Amino acid sequence: MNKLTFSIGGVHPNDNKRARECAIEVLPLPKTVYVSMAQHLGAPAKPIVAVGDFIKTGQVIAEPGGFISAFVHSPATGTVKSIAPRKDLAGNNVMHIEITVSEEEIWADGIDLSDTLVTEIPEDKAATLDKIKACGVVGLGGATFPTHVKLNPAPGSKAECLILNGAECEPYLTSDYRIMLERTKEIVVGAAIMQKVLGGCRCVIGIEENKPEAIEAMSKAVSELGYKDIKVQVLKKRYPQGGEKQLIDAVMKRQVKSGALPISVGAVVQNVATALAVYEAVQKNKPLITNTLTITGDCMPDNRQHNYLFRIGVPLSFIVDYAGGIPEQAAKMISGGPMMGRAIANLDAATVKGSSSVLFLSEGATRRKAESSCIRCGRCADACPMGLEPFLLHRLYKAGDVAELEKASAQDCIECGCCLYSCPANIPLLDRIRQAKGMALGAIKARAAAAKAAAEAAKAAAEAKK
Amino acid sequence: MEKYLVSPNPHIHANVSTSKLMLDVCIALMPAIIVSVLYYGWSELLILGVSVVSCVLFEWAIAKFLMKREGHFCLSAAVVTGLLLAMNLPSTISWWIVMIGALVAIGVAKMSFGGLGQNVFNPAIVGRVFLLISFPAQMTDWTVPAGFIQNVDAVSGSTLLGMFNEGGLAAVANVDYLKTLFLNIGGSAGEISALALLAGWVFLLVRKVIKPWITLSIFATVAIIATIFNLCAPELYTDAAFNLLTGGLILGACFMATDYVTSPMTTVGGIIFGVGIGFIVMMIRYFGSYPEGMSFAILIMNCCVPLLNKWFHQRKYGYGRA
Repeated sequence: MNKLTFSIGGVHPNDNKRARECAIEVLPLPKTVYVSMAQHLGAPAKPIVAVGDFIKTGQVIAEPGGFISAFVHSPATGTVKSIAPRKDLAGNNVMHIEITVSEEEIWADGIDLSDTLVTEIPEDKAATLDKIKACGVVGLGGATFPTHVKLNPAPGSKAECLILNGAECEPYLTSDYRIMLERTKEIVVGAAIMQKVLGGCRCVIGIEENKPEAIEAMSKAVSELGYKDIKVQVLKKRYPQGGEKQLIDAVMKRQVKSGALPISVGAVVQNVATALAVYEAVQKNKPLITNTLTITGDCMPDNRQHNYLFRIGVPLSFIVDYAGGIPEQAAKMISGGPMMGRAIANLDAATVKGSSSVLFLSEGATRRKAESSCIRCGRCADACPMGLEPFLLHRLYKAGDVAELEKASAQDCIECGCCLYSCPANIPLLDRIRQAKGMALGAIKARAAAAKAAAEAAKAAAEAKK
Repeated sequence: MEKYLVSPNPHIHANVSTSKLMLDVCIALMPAIIVSVLYYGWSELLILGVSVVSCVLFEWAIAKFLMKREGHFCLSAAVVTGLLLAMNLPSTISWWIVMIGALVAIGVAKMSFGGLGQNVFNPAIVGRVFLLISFPAQMTDWTVPAGFIQNVDAVSGSTLLGMFNEGGLAAVANVDYLKTLFLNIGGSAGEISALALLAGWVFLLVRKVIKPWITLSIFATVAIIATIFNLCAPELYTDAAFNLLTGGLILGACFMATDYVTSPMTTVGGIIFGVGIGFIVMMIRYFGSYPEGMSFAILIMNCCVPLLNKWFHQRKYGYGRA
């Protein structure tokens, strides 16, 4: 089959998928779980339970705090111990609901816990969307954008292609790979459900070539289930293949304009794990309280690599202890992949819906080397998948030239890390471009606000004249 | 928790460094250097040694005592400048002239602009051109000393381009192109073997240290201009093969014009840069008073790099397709 890839930039890190052979294991529950109210993009959820309340597994404990927000459900049966700010993995205070877990698990009513595959796709789109929303499904590819919002494009825009993202281009991570092998048919049904909600557009499941077993399993499931217009597409192994904009470029040969949403070119991109969550929500009425996570790293012994099915709210430290503790040579702990993940500053932080890994990297693999002079080799510009010139953005940032930064499209940076990854002078390009992006976006927003204010003032003046 | 690093992404690195890239350039120069030492003998080894040691010494001293800032001294980059300077000099040159060349290359062309990455002009070429203007006689003395391998043409004492410049086409009528591929007659160390230089260039391409566009556009431009002139007036102008294989063209196109610091950042910019060099070098060769113009061509195009960088940018995502 013809392998597709994005057209600009990219890098080829060693994929190091050491946990690929580790089947998913169910992680037990600790005595206490901490459920974050900010585990999706958008407004934090508002708790609707009180301290002392007895709650069942899968029961709603918080409701959306805005249009772009999501329901949160209890990952365990037990008593609400406290509702208070607690530090997340970066050390920021976020409201958490602390639940003391009971011995006996009682599930909330109406949740189908059997593993019978339900392949019939419900016809009623509005009801399906409601179910997805009520089950708190968010994008599990990294951005945790509420799925029901993404599956309900603004009037006037039409989805032409649903792209299911099974690229998993980040090195080390294997959770998407494992669910594609072990929950294959459920994922395909989930894709068919989303396809239906989007009005019957075609669906392409993109998987990188380094996962031939997943490609084979998914292709087989697609042909066995026989839904219309779903196909598996092999992608080249190249980072960031799974970036939303890059995937659209690879699969549809279209590019999303700066500041526009994927739907503007007719694309909706959803992760394979999200498809699984959609399946469970719609067919099983099961809220999103579990996800799969890889515990791995270059300094993690082979026999301690795992893929866990975890409940949200479980502290990272519990998972690490369960897997045998922090490996001795670990110098950095990361939540997510080595290219875009976040360093863990607080191991007591609780897992959230979007947690995808706990990664341990050794000093040699991760310690940044001393910065030296730029030799203008242009490797950063060759690597940038957005076609930006990181060396230029870096220089403009140092000069504080916001107008030029905007012209050089600092606002389009996707923070994939390719520039810093490939810089022979170890210049912290992305660290500074992230700041530059903030400056450029700030200028754009300020201008939009000023234009709006001016328009309103003109309107008011026109009305006063009348 | 304090013992663990916390920093923003990415958390891994491609494991490339300036030193490693420069080391690759040194390795790529080795075939040509070995051929030149075999051909010119001890005197060539002395020039290489003096040039490299002086470049390293000057760079280190200026970085430490004049600039007083960390990070301005890069050993491997200084070694590359030293090797390239030596390869641009005739093998008969005195060691103290080499040292002056090294001082100008490092001190004037590189460090006074701010050191590694800041220079506008290729340091080795500035060094060579300074010597060419200051010591014209010594710099064009192409007498070939006794080398380690038998050389029957050792007496010629002039470069092919020099012969053409003085004696016209008749002087170079009986050139054996095959020989220029392996062992050229006369010229500076880096001009002896086209094949050895190209082998090094291919090594750099394979190691992804450089991209081929600048070099290829120079070759293409030189070939096209020479073919046109040669077809119009074969009795006046040398042909494409002669121009590609003689002088410092291959050395310049493969190793000097592709210098990161003094070449454009983008592929389109690089192609225009290469076409410019090819055009200027042919104009100097056909109509100039100097027999060879590679150094001047590269220096002139070096001036245009900031403009090329300003005018030609990468193809950005979301601005072209769809």
